[in-house]
This record gives sequence, structure tokens and C-alpha cells, in this order.
Amino acid sequence: MTTFRLACCTLVLLATLSACSSSDETLVIYSGRSQNLVEPLLNRFAEESGTSIEVNYGDTADMALLLSEEGDATDADVFLAQSPGAVAYVDGQGLLAAVPEDVLDAVPAEFVADDGNWIGVTGRQRVLVYNADLVDESELPASVDDLVTEPYRGRVAVAPPNGSFQDFVSAMRVERGDEATSAWLAGLVANDVATYANNNSIVDAVSRGEIEMGLVNHYYNARFLDENPDLSSVNHRFPDGDIGALVLPSTASVVAGTDQPEAAADFVRFLLSDEAQRYFADETFEYPLVDGVEPRTSLPALADQDVPEVDYAELGGDLTGTLDLIRDAGLSS
Amino acid sequence: MSATDVEPGLSPGTSPDGAMPRPPGAGGARSRLAGRGWAVLAGLGFAAPLAFLVVRVLGDLAGLRAVVGDGRLLAPLARTVVLASLVSVTSASIGTATAWVVTRTDLPGRRWWRLALPLPLVIPSFMGTFALLSAFAPGGLFAGVLSSIGITSVPQLRGLWGSWLVLTLFTYPYVHLVVASRLNQLPPSLEEAARLFGRRPGEVFRSVVLPQLTPAILAGGLLVFLYTVSDYGVVELLRYDVLTRVIYASRLADPVLSLSLSLSLGLLALTVAVLERFSAGRDRAAGARSVRGLQVPLGAWRVPAVSLVGVVVGIALVVPAMVLVGWVVRGWLADSTSLLLDDPGALVAPLWATLRVSVLAAVTATVVVLPISVLATRRRDRVATAASTVVVAGFALPGLAIALALVFWLRGTALYRTEVLLVGAYVVHFGAQALRAAEVAVASVPARIEEASNVLGVSAWRRWRRVELPLMRPGLLAGAGLVLLSVMKELPATLLLAPNGFETLATRIWNAATDAFWTDAAIASLVLLALSGGLTWVLVIRRADAL
Repeated sequence: MTTFRLACCTLVLLATLSACSSSDETLVIYSGRSQNLVEPLLNRFAEESGTSIEVNYGDTADMALLLSEEGDATDADVFLAQSPGAVAYVDGQGLLAAVPEDVLDAVPAEFVADDGNWIGVTGRQRVLVYNADLVDESELPASVDDLVTEPYRGRVAVAPPNGSFQDFVSAMRVERGDEATSAWLAGLVANDVATYANNNSIVDAVSRGEIEMGLVNHYYNARFLDENPDLSSVNHRFPDGDIGALVLPSTASVVAGTDQPEAAADFVRFLLSDEAQRYFADETFEYPLVDGVEPRTSLPALADQDVPEVDYAELGGDLTGTLDLIRDAGLSS
Repeated sequence: MSATDVEPGLSPGTSPDGAMPRPPGAGGARSRLAGRGWAVLAGLGFAAPLAFLVVRVLGDLAGLRAVVGDGRLLAPLARTVVLASLVSVTSASIGTATAWVVTRTDLPGRRWWRLALPLPLVIPSFMGTFALLSAFAPGGLFAGVLSSIGITSVPQLRGLWGSWLVLTLFTYPYVHLVVASRLNQLPPSLEEAARLFGRRPGEVFRSVVLPQLTPAILAGGLLVFLYTVSDYGVVELLRYDVLTRVIYASRLADPVLSLSLSLSLGLLALTVAVLERFSAGRDRAAGARSVRGLQVPLGAWRVPAVSLVGVVVGIALVVPAMVLVGWVVRGWLADSTSLLLDDPGALVAPLWATLRVSVLAAVTATVVVLPISVLATRRRDRVATAASTVVVAGFALPGLAIALALVFWLRGTALYRTEVLLVGAYVVHFGAQALRAAEVAVASVPARIEEASNVLGVSAWRRWRRVELPLMRPGLLAGAGLVLLSVMKELPATLLLAPNGFETLATRIWNAATDAFWTDAAIASLVLLALSGGLTWVLVIRRADAL
């Protein structure tokens, strides 16, 4: 009992000690991108620039909620987001400042916010992942519109709660309007589409053969193959500028209330440097957005692809409307 | 120390008289006032999340009206209630059965079963579910094994049935731990008498043991209900559309909807807590024992009993652990990208942080709720009863709502983003577990101890330290153990409230799993399992000797 009490007292003491930290010199990064994806790169920045950093990792949507709840009281200097939808939500509340002007030209103009408050860092492409043991290449669709036709009945999976699927639906609304988008969503439901929680669940189910194919972001299958090279899941890119081949940017932005504007700007510059872009291409299997940095050898450069052109700034505009369409179609409650 | 240390002359009685309301003794008025003050203060802390939700929801009346008028929300609400009720019933049955066979029978390997049975509680629900899917879903790891023994089609693990099964397997420990600690205290004399009159073990259990266990079963069952109501990981992966799925799906796009639904979960919890409080079972607590409990020889029931605990531990613990080990081996062989295989030392800091905050939260929660449970259970104090109801509601709220509430109230203060705040958040979120276990423990201390010590002129403090606290210890430890295991896997509040750069094993697991770094997720999960196994052993099993 005495040792137990002693242990408790020690713990209390240590907790109190470790509670006092975070100096003003530190660059605080709220990262909606996971530790496993970006930590090695962030450490490299800290080492090379001599800046001390503290990172708060979490789901992009939760980080956006946190920033919005903290408002002016936030410690955050930089916000990294997985999706344009969440960063637009934070920007809409006036919580972001302009990214340094000298980097704005580093990436194609469509990957920069109209107000210059966020910039795309990497590209994540929408693809159809399929099980090569169950699906013949000749059966692969040329467009997402094929997925609502009879040959694909009961064979396709989507992830309605997933931010990237929602961003894709938003892009379809921007390109085709609400009516056509609703019709497509209703077509999926009528065609017995299977719904899953997220990209991971879909790739997992496809690789096991539980479902034949599913709409996901491209790099999840690369991740699964990195973990288990024996899987027979393969990515299929929709050709000819089909909306199904949408490229979604992950973004970087500077928080309006930052007390480290220079370090924050340096950090954004670093993310768009050749070194960082190379890291994303090689280690996270994403598309570098900076011109001249080639993606991994297994992927064609974005510039050489016929990808749909969408104004990404518009995607975050009406997330509520998108969720309503998804719900009204019966894809989620 | 154990319950056998009870002083001579104060040997606890064995009649079921524990929970009768008692008049405060000499000097009781002052301590009662202090207790009430404590209950009010603590109650305010526990009410912070509900208050935040009310402020937010009432701040947008038009939005609230839209939510209330939206009939589409009734179906998810109904599903939440159905799922939580079903899981409570099955978890209560399984948890009671496992607790009884490991405490009161000659089950072979009892010591190991006692160690293994609480552990499924610590597996993060999204991780455990994903592992079970990998094992049992079509084309999964065990599909070959199953088909070789003639099982070719397994019902798909999804929807209501899947969520019911998986949540039962991950929540029965709530009942198991509370009931096991109660069983260790039950006086064996009634059972012995029943046995002498020729009753069979099964009959003895039904007619003698079960009635005395009812408060503990209800307490555990309530915790299961509240956990199920707040869970997101299982229902999300298994695609059962309950309220938490709507709460998460709408959190950015329609915050009023999301917060109103969180509030409705809190109100649901309050209702259920009040119902449970007034249910008949609450008054049946019996005295504590002073000698070793009766051990029932299983005889012909040995095989069914071993099968029961074997199947439960097998599916809830061994299968997920095997899948995790499989992922690590696979990643190692395939030379997968892994931060932890390259640098296992990166887990030291998260391991230490997990240990620190979980032990602190468990101790703090137990200390904070003990006065409330004493006043509410023993004195039927209205203030304390109200406080204890509020404490219970905190457990049903999604962790996200707890976190945002504390951000709302404390942003910009010196406490904000400190470990102190994080531990406070855990206490608010999981205090219900310590509270319900403590109430069962308090109710099990016979009233005649107080009477006897008053007659003998023993001071209240001495009585409390020398007699009552030792008698309550198994129950308090069980409650602390529940909080400990819950904190170790907690995710949403940790991600939002921890100091910048602070990592726990659970945040490492989430970070790895969210982008399919399965090797790293599995390594961190296995370390978490090992840590919780060690702590369960040291703090709960070894200390509560017979438990």
C-alpha cells in the first residue's frame, strides 16, 4: 500500500512538471494529416531550419472544429488539412491568414484558394480500386456514370461518411449541378451500392474479395500493398477527364493569430520545396503538386493526365448541401 | 490488507441490511455539509459538457427547431436505444457468468482467466473491430480455417447483429469487474446453508447469489448501456446507423444538429440513470464477508464453463491479438514502411504518458466520486444523488463533445492544454465507472458497523480507515480499474485536449491505422495490451488477493 501511494505521488509530481512547457519560440502545427504520413518530414524541417516545433495530430474535421472553437485563443501557427472542405470551413470563419506570396505560383492556380489563404501541397486522386482476381480489365468502367448501370449492380462500394467522397460529390455538384448529382447518387442506391465507413474499409474489403470494386483515394491501395504485397487489389483511373478522376489537394495554411508568422511562412515554403515534394511522392505515394517533381514511377505525372478541371475553392462552399444530397439519396441517415 | 483485517468485535454482519438510509450520527451533520459542498463542486465540473451543449443548442433556436422537427432523426435514435439495450442484456449475462466461474468455482486456470477477462476493454474499438473483420469477414484470415471445419458461410459481421456481437465482446468486462469484486465480498453463509439443505449449485446461484448480485449487475449493465450509446468506432465500421454516426457525419456541416444530438444522448443517459436508480435492485446489497468465499466444484459443468470463458476470451482477446501479431510479422517480412520497426524507442514516451495519465485519472476519479457515492447511497442525500446522476451522463456523451466543451469553457486559461486538464477530462468522461462501482462498494458495508462503532465510541475517522475502507476496497479497485482501462484507449478527447506534441499509445494507434500503417498500429496495440495486462495484474488482481 505504501509503495502504491509513493508511486501515485511520484506520478502527480511528474505530471505537474511536464504540464509546464510550450515556449513562445515554438511553431505549433495542427496537423489533420497523420503522424505516420508527415512526422519524418516535419522533423526534417525542424532539424534543417533550427525551428522547434510541436505538432498536434488529429482528424482533419476535428482539427477544424478545434480551431473554430479556440478562435483567437489558439496556439496554432499552421494548419495542415486532408481536404479542401475542412480548410474552407476554417477559412470561412476568418481564422486563416494569407500564405506567403512567393509560393503561390509554385503549384497550378486551381490548387490555391481564391483569397490566397490556403495552398495545395499534395494531390490525392479519386480512383476505382478493384480485385484483379474477380474483375477482368475489360469490365472496368470508363466513367463513374457507368457505375449506376446494370453490369455494376451490387459490385461497387462507396464511403458516404468519408471526407474525400464528400469532396468528390461536391465537385460533381460544381460540374453538373445538384439535380444531376442527386440522380447519380440515387442511381447508386438503386444499383445496390455497398456502403463502407472509409477508404481503409473499402480497400480491405476489395482485397479480401468481399466486394469487387470501390471508389477510394489512390494512395490507400499503395499503402495496403506496402503492408502486404500479395494482395490482388489494383487501382483503376477513370480516363478522359471524367469527374471520377478528380484530384483533391491536401492543404497548408497559416493561422491568422500566429505569433510566429516568419517561421510559419518558412514552413509552408518548405512543404513546397523539391525536397518535401520528393518525400511525399516517394514515401506517401501522393502526387507532388509542384511542377517538375515527378510522382512515383508507378504513376503518370498529373500534367500528363486528362484530369477534370474543378475550382477547388468552390468545393468547401456548401458541405451542408452535399451532405443533404447524400442523405436524401438514402446513402446515409 | 484484505477484508479479513476487520477488527475483532466489529465483524461485519451477514444480513442484507447494508443500504438502509441511516440518520447521521454525532458530528455527522458537519461532515455531511462538507460532503454536500464537495458534491456540488464536483457536480458542476461533471455538468460542464452538458452545460456547453445547452448553451450552444439554445444559442441557435431556429437550428434546434429544425432538428426537433426532423423526423428522420427518430430512426437513428431508436437504433441507438435498441442496440444499447441488447448489448446491455448480453454483456450483463456474459459478465456475470464469467465473474461467477472465476471467483466461485474450481475452474482450471482461474488465475489466467482472471487476468485475461478484463482486457478486451482496453482494445480501441475501431482497432478491435477492424481486426475481427480481418479475421472473420469473407476472405479473411480465418476463412480457410473455418471452411476446413465445414463452416463455409459466416454471417457477415455488420449492421445490428455485427455491432451487437462486437460491442458485447468489448463491453462485458464492465459487468465482469464490478460483479467479480462484489462476489468476493459476499458472505458465504447463505450459500453454505442452501448447500446444506441440498440445493444444487445452479439453484444456489439463482436463489441465493443472484439476488445479492443484482445491484452490481445493474451497475455494470448501466455502464455497458452508456458506453454503447457513445461508441462510434464499432458502429461506423460495421455500418449500423445510430445517433453517433449522425453526430460525427454532421459535425462540420451542421454543428447545431451534431450538438443537439449529443445533448439528446446526455438526456437519454440521465433518463436511464434515474430509472436505474429507482429500480428495485438498488436496495438489495448485503453485508461484506470476513472469510474466504465458498468454492463450488464444477463437476460435470467443468467443460461448459471452460468453453464459455474460452470462447469469450478467444474471440474478444486472442483473435484480435493474433491478427495484430500477424500484421507485425507480415510488415516485418515485407519490409513495410514503419516508424516503429525503424525506431521502437519512439514508443517509450507514449508508453510512459499513457501509464501516467491513466493511473492519475483512475485515482482522481475514485477519490472525487467516493464522497458523492457515500452520501448518495448511505444517506440518500438529494444533492449527492443529483450529482451522481450528472456524473453518469458524462459517460454517454461522445468524447468529441466532452473535448469541445472543455475547450469552450477553459480556452485561454492557464489550465488549457495541460495534462491536468486532460486528466480532468478523463475524470469527467469516465467518472461514472468509478462512481457506480463505488456505490456498489459503499452499499455493501453493513450499517451495524457504524452502530457498533458508535456504541464503542470509536471515532468516525478510525472506523472509516480501519473497517469501512478495507471493506470497500475491492469495489473501489474495480472502479479504478475500469477507469484505467478506459483512459488507456481514449482517443477523441486526448487528440483535442492533450498538450501539443503529447502522445499516448492510443493516439499512436489511431495515427497509424487511419492511413493504413497496419504494422505500426499493431505494434502500438500489442504494447497497449501488454501494459494494461501488467497494470491489471498489479493493481486489480494481485492487490484484491482473491479477485
